[in-house]
Parts: sequence; structure tokens; C-alpha cells
Amino acid sequence: MASKYLALPKGVSEATFDAAVKEFRGVLGETHVLTSAEQLAPYAKVMMPVPEANHTPSAALLATTVEQIQKIVGICNKHKVPIWTISTGKNLGYGSAAPAERGQVVLDLHRMNRILEVDPDLCYALVEPGVTYKQLYDYFKEHNYALWLSVPAPSAIAGPTGNTLDRGVGYTPYGEHFMNACGMEVVLANGEVLRTAMGGLPKSNTWQCFKWGYGPYLDGIFTQSNYGIVTKFGFWLQPAPPVYKPFLIQYQHEEDVVEIVEIMRPLRLSGVIPNSGVIAHALYEAGLKAKRSDYVSGPGSISDEAVRRLAKDHNMGIWNVTAALYGTKEQVDVNWKIVTDAFGKSGKAKFLTQEDVGDDPQFGYRAALMRGGMDLREFNLYNWRGGGGSLWFAPVCQTRGSETLKQMAMAKRILTKYGLDYTGEFIVGMRDMHHILDMLFDRTDPEMTKAAYQCFDELIATFSAEGYGSYRTNTAFMDKVADTYDPIQRSVNRTLKQALDPNGILAPGKSGIRL
Amino acid sequence: MCGMTTSRHSARFILAAVVAIGIAARVAGAAPEEATQPGFAWKDGAEVYAKVCAFCHDTAVGPTLRGRGLDPTYIQLIVRHGNRAMPAFRASEIDDQSLEKLAEYVSKAEANK
Repeated sequence: MASKYLALPKGVSEATFDAAVKEFRGVLGETHVLTSAEQLAPYAKVMMPVPEANHTPSAALLATTVEQIQKIVGICNKHKVPIWTISTGKNLGYGSAAPAERGQVVLDLHRMNRILEVDPDLCYALVEPGVTYKQLYDYFKEHNYALWLSVPAPSAIAGPTGNTLDRGVGYTPYGEHFMNACGMEVVLANGEVLRTAMGGLPKSNTWQCFKWGYGPYLDGIFTQSNYGIVTKFGFWLQPAPPVYKPFLIQYQHEEDVVEIVEIMRPLRLSGVIPNSGVIAHALYEAGLKAKRSDYVSGPGSISDEAVRRLAKDHNMGIWNVTAALYGTKEQVDVNWKIVTDAFGKSGKAKFLTQEDVGDDPQFGYRAALMRGGMDLREFNLYNWRGGGGSLWFAPVCQTRGSETLKQMAMAKRILTKYGLDYTGEFIVGMRDMHHILDMLFDRTDPEMTKAAYQCFDELIATFSAEGYGSYRTNTAFMDKVADTYDPIQRSVNRTLKQALDPNGILAPGKSGIRL
Repeated sequence: MCGMTTSRHSARFILAAVVAIGIAARVAGAAPEEATQPGFAWKDGAEVYAKVCAFCHDTAVGPTLRGRGLDPTYIQLIVRHGNRAMPAFRASEIDDQSLEKLAEYVSKAEANK
């Protein structure tokens, strides 16, 4: 007899699942436990090159309170039902709202969306997991707070809790999001509620001011992991500067990336450029201005010659460096001189500021994101190839020119082998860069989808063999990426899992961690 | 997705929250429940459009929607299922009632100027 559920959790019978669903409904009410195909359809949409059936949930639970979540984990422990927690579910290209494994129950916390506190003096916020960046952005405007967010590309539709817990990044001086996280409340698998660091002191008013507390710093183990369910999240906000000056520097040759990085590193380390600037390849920005079909006919990757033509046709660099200056007019003027002196030496750089470009969409979206604005135009990326396939390959790279060129060449060679384009950028930290490649493919084309899977697999294997590890990955490749790291790391992760979640009910498979 | 903050709740949603507390309290026995007052609630279809859809559909990331007289049922289907690169939106983000209002709004709205 066919099951009444779209899928069942691994090792759980329908009768057991029936009992669990009944108990979930007792806690949340009928309407907040979703099991029908129609209700669950949005949870199964993925961009990865794997069948949606691999990630079909059995149910979704719409919880709004800590007490409900405590009861849910109690039911999960009783019936050994695994849950996959999401906040806004917009981790596009990393798995979206779908669970890691077929049959897991999605615990959807989007409706748990209260802004609990914003302190405009100390510049911090405490929010529930479903709060979006747009909700906060509007809240600041409504209250006339001179505070800036740092957001990833999905900005308006994503939120700080989920993005930071997956160790996502933004483009402002606060762009390394976990570095600016401060204090969490976590429901543990046994139902206990942990408040990290200063949150452990009943009368403390420094939960969102001092990260470390006393004793081991625990917040890190609740990121990219499955050791608890974060129900409150504190983070720091940037005071709006009096002057903001975004800029774009174009270079016209791929090998120029060596010069760019060598100039940029000391400027980032000294704080002259305070934000996570980006070195974007022309193809990363191409979807904003050009159609791929105007430059490529037939299958295969775009040629270097066509990329040069495209860049010339649309006044783009082969490399496009965007960064910004923040501060008083005097500070910005001094730092702008340092930046232009440094990049101007070789005569290769072309400088562009807001005054030069008008409403250019490339400059416009970068300028918006570097001030934590709401802008989704980066997703013109998806129009470059079309067909809705996307996987982010995200190896970490030293902030060193020679390394940058080496990683780019490796990526291009592998992508070309599978007929895919190098749609890459480097997000520049201080000592490290996130080399971000959006591996775009047409998901309606079965052959290209198969090639995309193999290509991603080869990228992971080849990069890790050279010592380049991924900082984050999608839900279809979590085990493979985990396998590239030392088995002792995996063993420690497992020991923690066994201690904190002995029934393995919380997001089994996240970052390759299971009992 | 996003919308009004605590200070702007409509009476309707406060009432809904009170009912929700009542239901939870009944099934949970004497266990105290945290307030379930939501952080936001959609005002109307135009607000959903402005705070979600417009970021792609008014910026050339996705196709223009307004002024095309699109069938409201089709709009609702695409919102819930997504379409190629367009993500799907869940009822937890855009509730069924707001989705109906959104579809109605997009279907009847004038074209972008």
C-alpha cells in the first residue's frame, strides 16, 4: 500500500511516523504540521544537480516558540525522528529549504521572527531565527537608527541567523558574519536551553557585548553543525559612517589578479580598505549586461577570446575590484589617495566611482551590498546560463597573488573539461580569501546536470589534493567535503554529536556529522 | 518574509496570537508558553510584492510581472513551486491568504513605468 507521506525518515515505520505526527500536531496544532504534497512542494525545490527525490521531506513543522521546540525534540527523541532546521530557507545553491536527507522532517522557524532588541548605542541586535535582513532594515528606518547591516547576496529574503550559522559572509567591514556574532540561545537535543557566554549569567546585560564569557567558547560548535537549535541570535551592527565611498577598479588581463591581490593585501591588513572587497571575474558580472548566446554558440565553455570581447563590449574589466571607504570626509579622502596611489603605480588599473558610472547596474548592486543594502541583482548570475542549476564551490585561498592565479587556473581547467564557465570571484578577507565559484548549469538538461555533478566532485577532489579546503558546501556534497579534512576532526565532531545528541535527531548529515 | 514590526500589529494578528496561545496551552497542560505574537504580518499584496518579488522582477533578474494580466492561479503555483532559478516560497514566508492577495495584486497591477 502506498504511504500517505511523500517520504519517511530513514529507519522509521509509517506507524511510528503517524504517532510522531499526531504528537507534533498536539504541540503545534493541525495547521502547522505540513505533510501534503502541495504543502511540501516549496521545501523540495533545489538547484543542485541531484534528483529532488534525494531531498524530499516527510513533513514540515512551523514552530514559533522555544517551548514548542523543546517539546518537538522530545517527540523526535521518543520516535527517533530526525529534524532538519531552517530559518529563512534561502541558502540558494547550498540546498535552499530542503533537508539533507530524504525523509527528514523540516523544522521551519521562519515564523519565529521577532526582533527582540536593537541597541542603537552599543550597535547590536538580538533576533529570532526567522527574522530577515529586510525586516531589520525596515525596523532601523522606522526607528531612525543610523545602523548598517552586513548582508549576503540574497539580502532581503535571507536572514542573519541562518547565514551566520552557515558561516556566510557579506561585503561591509562587518562582512565576516560569525566574527560579529555575539551570544546565542540554543535548544539542545535533550530539551535544555543553553544561553552561551554572558547569557549564562541571569542578570547580565553584556550578552550581546562580550563574546567569550567564561570557560570554553561554545558558540562555534553551533555553526555548520547539528548540535543544537539556535532560537535567539545576537550580532553586531555597523554604525552608519558619515561618508561612504564605493569604488570599482578594472583590470584587463587574467594574470593581473596577481598584482591586484598583492596591492590589496596590505590595504586590507592595515585597515585602509576596511570591508570585504571583491575581485570579480567578468563572467561573474556578465549576466547583468550580456546574453551568453551572443558570445557562445553550441555546447562547451565560453572561450577566453569571447570573454575579452564581452568585457570590451560592456565596459567591464576582466577583473573587477569593488571595495569601499567609510568614515569622515577627511579619513575617506586620505584613504582614497592611498588606494589610488597603490593601484595606480603600474598604469594597468582603471578607477571608477559613483560619479563616473551613473546608474550602471554592476556598480549599483555592489555599492548597495557594501553598505548592507537590500539588492538581489547579483542573481543575474542565473541568467547567464539559464535553467536554474547552481552550486557554489567555495575553496579558501591565501591572500597571495600567486595562489589566486593558481586556483583560478585549476578551476578553469576542470570547468572547461565539463563544458562549464568560470563564474568566479574572490571575497577578500585579511589573510584569506573566499574563492567563490557559482557553478552554473542548465538543470533542465540531463547531460549538463550529470556533467555538473561530476565537475563539482572533481573540483573538491583536485583542490583538496592541493591543500585547498572548502569553507562551506551544499547539502548534496557535505560528506565528500568532510572527507577531505583530517579524520581526527571528523572523529571529534562525532564524539560531540554522541554526547549532545545521543539519538542523532538533529540534522543528521550536516557537515558530514552523524552518530 | 518581512514586513511590519511589533509596534504595528493589527488587532487581527494579535487576536490570532491569543488564540494560538490558547491552543498551545490546552495541549501542553500547565506548561507556560512564550508569547507567540508574530514579529511581522503582511499588510497586503502590494507589500509582499514590494518587499519580496520586486527585488528580482523589477530589476531584470526575473521577468516583469505587472501589467501582463497574469492568471492569479498561475502566479500562486509559481510562487509555491519556483521556476528554474526562481526559488519557491513557503507558506511560512508568504501565508496562503497573503499569497492570494499578492496574486490578485500582480494580476491587476499596472505595468512598471
